[in-house]
Amino acid sequence: MGELLQSSDGAIRLADAAMRSGGGRMVLLRLAIPAVPNNDAEQLGLATPGFQDVALGPATFHKANSVTKLLVSASAVHEVLGSLGFDSANVLFETAVGLFFDGLLYKITNSYSSQAIGVPYCYWLTLEPPTR
Amino acid sequence: MQNAKDTFYEVLRSRLVALNAERTIVLRGVLRPGVLVEENELLSEVARPDCFRLRWSTAEVNGEGAMPLATLNCSIDYETAGTTMNGGMDRGRALASMDAELQGAANTSPRNALKMNYSGLANGAAAVAMQTSVWWGEVAFGDTVTKDDRLARIATVQLMSYQEAGEL
Repeated sequence: MGELLQSSDGAIRLADAAMRSGGGRMVLLRLAIPAVPNNDAEQLGLATPGFQDVALGPATFHKANSVTKLLVSASAVHEVLGSLGFDSANVLFETAVGLFFDGLLYKITNSYSSQAIGVPYCYWLTLEPPTR
Repeated sequence: MQNAKDTFYEVLRSRLVALNAERTIVLRGVLRPGVLVEENELLSEVARPDCFRLRWSTAEVNGEGAMPLATLNCSIDYETAGTTMNGGMDRGRALASMDAELQGAANTSPRNALKMNYSGLANGAAAVAMQTSVWWGEVAFGDTVTKDDRLARIATVQLMSYQEAGEL
């Protein structure tokens, strides 16, 4: 265990294993499809946006009082960052439309990471349920 | 009223681009000028820094004249944390730059433009010039507000236009 924590990669694997054994599940991060460049219709609200769902997991929920937080594996987030070309996880979560699971779309109101040796091993997302 | 709102946005955007073409944002994966209309974009919890965010608030229509006169109030929110290279110590200067750009774009004469109907853009058609104009008052700059590591300001401007027959 001590050796595993010596590298940031080890911390990520340890976090993934803990989340999987603790009932981690997959959630879908909903992102807007890139708009058409230099298109006035896009900027005037005349275009129909498209969306894509990206799977993130393992992820586990943490609920304290009325605040719902989601703990997401950093390995899953980093994979999405690489494949979709985002600069950082913050940008990814700020531009996401929300998180989709159990048939509901939750808004992401805040995000931060837990780090080991300066490298994130998991991300915390504060979620707001849809108003009914 | 929608045509007046769209026309004002288009005019303001082109003037802001002329003053500082480097003020850009990436929104929905596309690089574009650093100005947006909040109601035209996807809902977001994040206040995007270093860009002008237009929000339409109150609207009023005076029907006493020959044509109804619509008055719309627009809030222009903007905030900045300065530049990372300077550790944010230039955030005051960055806000002043944004003040100057907005002042230059909105308060410079002429403060009017021919109203355009952009609804055809949805079907690939061109914008159509209308019979009347839009015009606006001077931009009023609100207090500087500190939001964590950012400095923010809300400026307001009043836009007026005659409502043409059948206009949305």
